[in-house]
Amino acid sequence: MFDKFINWYENRHDYARQWLDKNDGEVVGCFCSYAPEELIYAAGLLPVRMLGSHEPQDVTEPHIFGMFCPFCRDVLAQGLKGRYDYMKGILLAQSCLHLRQAFTSWKNHVPSDWAFYLYMPNKLQTEHARPYYRGELDKLRKSIEGWTGHAIADETLRETAELYNENRRLMREVYAMRKQPDPPVTGLEAMVMVASSYFVDKKEHNAELKRILPELKSRRLDRDTGGRLMIVGSENDDTEFVKMVESVGATVVTDDHCTGSRYFWNLTQFNGDIMQDIANRYIDRPPCPTKDWEERLRFPHILEMAKEFNVEGVILIQQKFCDPHECDMVPLKEYLAKEGYPTLFLEFDVTVPVGQMRIRVEAFLEMLGVEELF
Amino acid sequence: MLTAGIDMGSKFIKTLVLKDGMVLGKAIVPTGFEPSASASKCLEQAASEAEVDISSIDHITSTGAGRKAASEANTDITDVGAAAKGVAELIPEARTVIDVGAEDGRGIKTEADGKVVDFAVNEKCAAGAGAFAEAMSRALEVTLEEFGNLSLKSDKTIPMNAQCAVFAESEVVSLVHAKTPKEDIARAVHDAIASRVVSMVRRVGINESVALVGGLSHNPGFVDAINRGLETQVVIPDNPEFVGALGAAIVAGERNK
Repeated sequence: MFDKFINWYENRHDYARQWLDKNDGEVVGCFCSYAPEELIYAAGLLPVRMLGSHEPQDVTEPHIFGMFCPFCRDVLAQGLKGRYDYMKGILLAQSCLHLRQAFTSWKNHVPSDWAFYLYMPNKLQTEHARPYYRGELDKLRKSIEGWTGHAIADETLRETAELYNENRRLMREVYAMRKQPDPPVTGLEAMVMVASSYFVDKKEHNAELKRILPELKSRRLDRDTGGRLMIVGSENDDTEFVKMVESVGATVVTDDHCTGSRYFWNLTQFNGDIMQDIANRYIDRPPCPTKDWEERLRFPHILEMAKEFNVEGVILIQQKFCDPHECDMVPLKEYLAKEGYPTLFLEFDVTVPVGQMRIRVEAFLEMLGVEELF
Repeated sequence: MLTAGIDMGSKFIKTLVLKDGMVLGKAIVPTGFEPSASASKCLEQAASEAEVDISSIDHITSTGAGRKAASEANTDITDVGAAAKGVAELIPEARTVIDVGAEDGRGIKTEADGKVVDFAVNEKCAAGAGAFAEAMSRALEVTLEEFGNLSLKSDKTIPMNAQCAVFAESEVVSLVHAKTPKEDIARAVHDAIASRVVSMVRRVGINESVALVGGLSHNPGFVDAINRGLETQVVIPDNPEFVGALGAAIVAGERNK
């Protein structure tokens, strides 16, 4: 049922090239899920979030310090290796300095026609954030208009925001089904569904979601649900890992990842000024730890989600050297433990040692009391 | 009821045969390149010591890193679960279990009956495990037995940053070049291993009493270092390397009911 999403995910470059053949626009690479894709899409361009390839590489050493996170290096490696050679523009929404380094190195070493550094403020819990960010979005809009030579109409922006909202609503509908005692969707399928939404034209993605949703309602999976797990962390599109977890007596029922629920969880609210509406949507979304000051709003959000999805245990995924998430690991473990949610901490790299991690995940499931499944 | 536990460690396989809670026989063989064959051999030896036929064993449970390779096993349990279970039998008052084998170190927080509440496993490097002690004893050209005892003769603390087993070896080489006495180097190595293990165990919390099991518990230098690191006296059962196999054999009994 999820074949199309899997096919998109596995052949993302082919998809983008075909899009270029069919459309009179360019592909714009987005660093970070805070990039306001609506502005790109409304200009007739295809926003594509850059992900890594999960292959060891040796090309980024001259550009990025070895103790920057594996994800930022993996992303840059894709550019240096020419895998995104069809891409003409790049956009960074400021989040962490590791990804900023990947963006800057890309700008300096990978040919592109347009590169924009959008200052997305890190302190969002202040009344100054909204007008400030709106002002930055105005600058981004002008820059896109200057590059393409066409003005972006407010009406087109509104339509795009509605299209994006539809995508978000549809994916939330799929997620909501995972609250069932036996979810009709595996964690792997959900992961690929969201990851593909990062580069597939939202119109096509929505059409496919609308096609599968009625079928999903009657779908029964020929597998035991087992332990209901939530995965929490930064970027994670490691399908091999989720495949392994779901092969040892567990199902990933929800997540707090920027490549997962954080990307689509909240909608744009329309209050008349479309630029401010879009700015607000990004300010109000479930936060990345780089933008969660001074109150840690993501903790209650994660807890609420764990309750809603009837989670039994939480896997805390730490991209090695990701400082913002490292900052949360200790208090988050403690916070969840107090609320009765055991956690398993795992450190991720470009590739994961699946064998070693399987032993830990199995021990975690045993601890949760789901050993009868072995 | 006759049960057996097979602990498929990365370096040695340990097998233990239990009859109604009594140990009838046990055996230990090197894991080697053919773990399945070694497991069969180990089980045969334990059964022979117990004077029972393998076919008469009601339930066999395997554990350890290679537990899926034990073809005779009816079921398996993770090494975390097995260690906790084994310790609950031998040291019921233990609430923290430290299990250090050849390649892995584990800290486990337990409740009564060996229920696991939380655990931590060493990440990616053997600097907090037995293989490191072995490599360092080779570097000092002493046997592993001598290496453990040597360290008790020293009262000097030399800081060693054993974040990585390979780089730690180069620190040892520097100490050798500086003509540091062997016993001081031995103590520095054990302190470094213990420090890695203690900091891992702190992640789950240290609650008394603390049981130490696994092959490295035979090393008096390490035990001394870990007692100093934890600021408490760990309790070590007899045959600490068999605790995982014992836990697995007990679980086999529970599963056969």
